Amino acid sequence: MGSSKVQRLSGMQKQVLSLYRGFLRAARSKSEEERCKIESIISQEFRRNAEDVDRKNFLYIEYLLRRGNKQLDQLKNPGTTGLSSLQLHYSHPSSKG
Amino acid sequence: MAASRSTLPLMKYLRVRVDALPRNTPLTLASNLLIRRFSEEVRGCFLDKSEVTDRVISCVKNFQKVDPSKVNPNAHFQNDLGLDSLDSVEIVMALEEEFGFEIPDNEADKINSIKLAVDFIASHPQAK
Repeated sequence: MGSSKVQRLSGMQKQVLSLYRGFLRAARSKSEEERCKIESIISQEFRRNAEDVDRKNFLYIEYLLRRGNKQLDQLKNPGTTGLSSLQLHYSHPSSKG
Repeated sequence: MAASRSTLPLMKYLRVRVDALPRNTPLTLASNLLIRRFSEEVRGCFLDKSEVTDRVISCVKNFQKVDPSKVNPNAHFQNDLGLDSLDSVEIVMALEEEFGFEIPDNEADKINSIKLAVDFIASHPQAK
């Protein structure tokens, strides 16, 4: 049995999880097929950033959060049917300490 | 010749300084005790805890990254099931759909085990 210590989430971590949750909620309002695509893309994007981005690179993380929130706002628009109209960039971030 | 002397009244030029002394009246703190009662009748709207437990476990077992044999009422999402925080978000989202109500972010962040999920859902009147 693992220890039941409560992991305190930092403020920035909470923002990331909140953004992730927001995307999943927005995906619900789309068609079933489109929803699967959105969830897959979002999952990959968040996990890739989780691995690539240095957690102490606060400036870059804040930038990603702002960009993510803008993309989420677009996705919430009923006119947006999927993520193809969003310009997600897959370039690797340069996390220089 | 008689010299007449007119004596000016000295009181005319005297000035007396008057200091106003502020008096502090202590305010008595009146404490109002509010007694609140929650109706026991509301309890009828909540789901049965064992039913909630079964449904939560079933929901978590369906999660692709989860080893079903490790899922038990005391399992912790990250320590026991090996999930990360993004996975936890997805699980809580799945539970929302299973029980038909939305869990606010600040509450969702705290749910990181089967037990906490069951406790929250079983005590929520909107759970279906």
